[in-house]
Amino acid sequence: MKVYDGTDTDQSPDPDPDRVKVGIAEYAVTTDGAVLTTSGLGSCIGVALHDPASGVAGLAHVMLPAADEAGDGNPAKFADSGTALLVEEVDAAGAEPATLEAKIAGGSDMLDFSADGAGIGDRNAETVRETLAAHDVPVVGADLGGDHGRSLRLEPGTGDLVVTSANQGTDRL
Amino acid sequence: MQVDVQSLGTFNRLAHEGAEQATSALAQMTGIDAAVEVTKISLVDRADLGEELGDDDYVGVQFDFEGAMAGETVLVFESASSTEIAESLLGDVDTDAMARSSVEELGNIMMSGFIDGWADYLDAPIDHSPPTSFERAGSAVLPEAPADGDRDQVFVFRSQIEWVEETVGFYIYMLPAYDALTELVSEQAAAAEDAIPVEKLEVFNRMNRQGARTAAAHVGEMTGIDVSAEVTQISFCPIEDVPRQVGEETYVGTAVEFTGLPSGYLLVLFDEPSAVNVAEALLPVAPDGDGLTEDHEAAIEELGNIMTSGFVDGWANVLQQSVDHTPPRLVHDMGRAILDPIAAQLGQHQQHAFVVDATMQTDEVAVRSEIHALPNEAELRSALEALDVDRADQTDADVDQIF
Repeated sequence: MKVYDGTDTDQSPDPDPDRVKVGIAEYAVTTDGAVLTTSGLGSCIGVALHDPASGVAGLAHVMLPAADEAGDGNPAKFADSGTALLVEEVDAAGAEPATLEAKIAGGSDMLDFSADGAGIGDRNAETVRETLAAHDVPVVGADLGGDHGRSLRLEPGTGDLVVTSANQGTDRL
Repeated sequence: MQVDVQSLGTFNRLAHEGAEQATSALAQMTGIDAAVEVTKISLVDRADLGEELGDDDYVGVQFDFEGAMAGETVLVFESASSTEIAESLLGDVDTDAMARSSVEELGNIMMSGFIDGWADYLDAPIDHSPPTSFERAGSAVLPEAPADGDRDQVFVFRSQIEWVEETVGFYIYMLPAYDALTELVSEQAAAAEDAIPVEKLEVFNRMNRQGARTAAAHVGEMTGIDVSAEVTQISFCPIEDVPRQVGEETYVGTAVEFTGLPSGYLLVLFDEPSAVNVAEALLPVAPDGDGLTEDHEAAIEELGNIMTSGFVDGWANVLQQSVDHTPPRLVHDMGRAILDPIAAQLGQHQQHAFVVDATMQTDEVAVRSEIHALPNEAELRSALEALDVDRADQTDADVDQIF
């Protein structure tokens, strides 16, 4: 099992955790069935990848649309580079590209004060979809937009992505 | 001392690396799967240091250190979790003495890891004393901040380490000696043009405290509840750590965007039980229905508006800049999800954020509220550059005149 914190260092010394928390601008990949969770998605997007054939799964929590807008060194922070990185890492961990599927959630427009143009949540969602399409990964489930926050739980056994909201209950993608 | 954003970022990274080393030492020794949740650097009133620890009993394992950096550092965790920690180390624990000694050993290893992490990062030796360990209530578990003339505000580096799947949390506090920090900051500083004199940050902190007091007074006037502003601090952290400044539970409150110099966002948040209590104090009759009703939410919106104005007006007066804000938007959601889009909006232009935190509470009714202000970092720097420290000193002399 490898856990990446976005700086490319393997910080997880525990060989078999049951649950791995993924923070903002971080991602994790599991090959041993560990449940991957992330909480407090507002305009951020949780990108969940799952390969039913190999059982490899990965979850990223991306914050902003495009890496080139910010000149920041952490690829996992951005919808374009973070999604691409997650696809690469689940492939490297043994996922079969032909059977890899994506589920995505988040991208709320709560507290978007910008008066003009699409909000960050919408732009994040669009960028994640474009990046997944460019890597030929189909999106088989999505819970995007709205004006509420979400927490996610990716169950690698089934590939289910459980989406919990403070006021909207729980949904299983 | 002048602090620039780049060296604050470097120090944040440094503290984070130290905490990662400590966590890694913990994992190697115990198999405990822990992760560093938050690392932040705060400028806080000496008297308020560790107020967030409340009244619980804590075990502290403390070192003095000197060399490339000097000061004091302490690993802190709740006394109630000592046995749980010891059992993870030893299996069965028969006596308190056994538990105590294994916990001390763990603390020793973690904190050596922490200091080694700093030394590695600075590529210079740091020597530390043998550890001392003790059990104390609340903030008494922290060392006195190193003496430094008559400075009433101190820098503190804080990391929070969470033990996955368990309720045990560790905190690492590092209190640098002012002289040593000044020297390191000047060595690390790359570009002088974005440097902020610490004196101005201290004045800004005092402004925030006055703003929080004004906001608390407004709540008191509206609700008849005696509310006190507790802690005000300014922290600096990577933008992606901003949402972690609040808990995972659900909050109710208001958010505004403010414009002027600086621009930014301001949140007034209540946990749900507090929101119900404070709203009912405000409403003429108890609303129908259970939990948080629309009437409660309307009352919170009004309170949020008043508190925001109180806080922001204080800024405007001292900065001699007009600071306008949007009408408040009611928020009722997971705390971190509320902060997340605000961090994202700031994150389009900056990699780190200054976060102003104030808390207020009351003894009469269970009400606790948090104010979080997130100014645009570059604009805050400009505003502080223009800040007349003499004018801010007048604030101390006659607060009512200014606020």
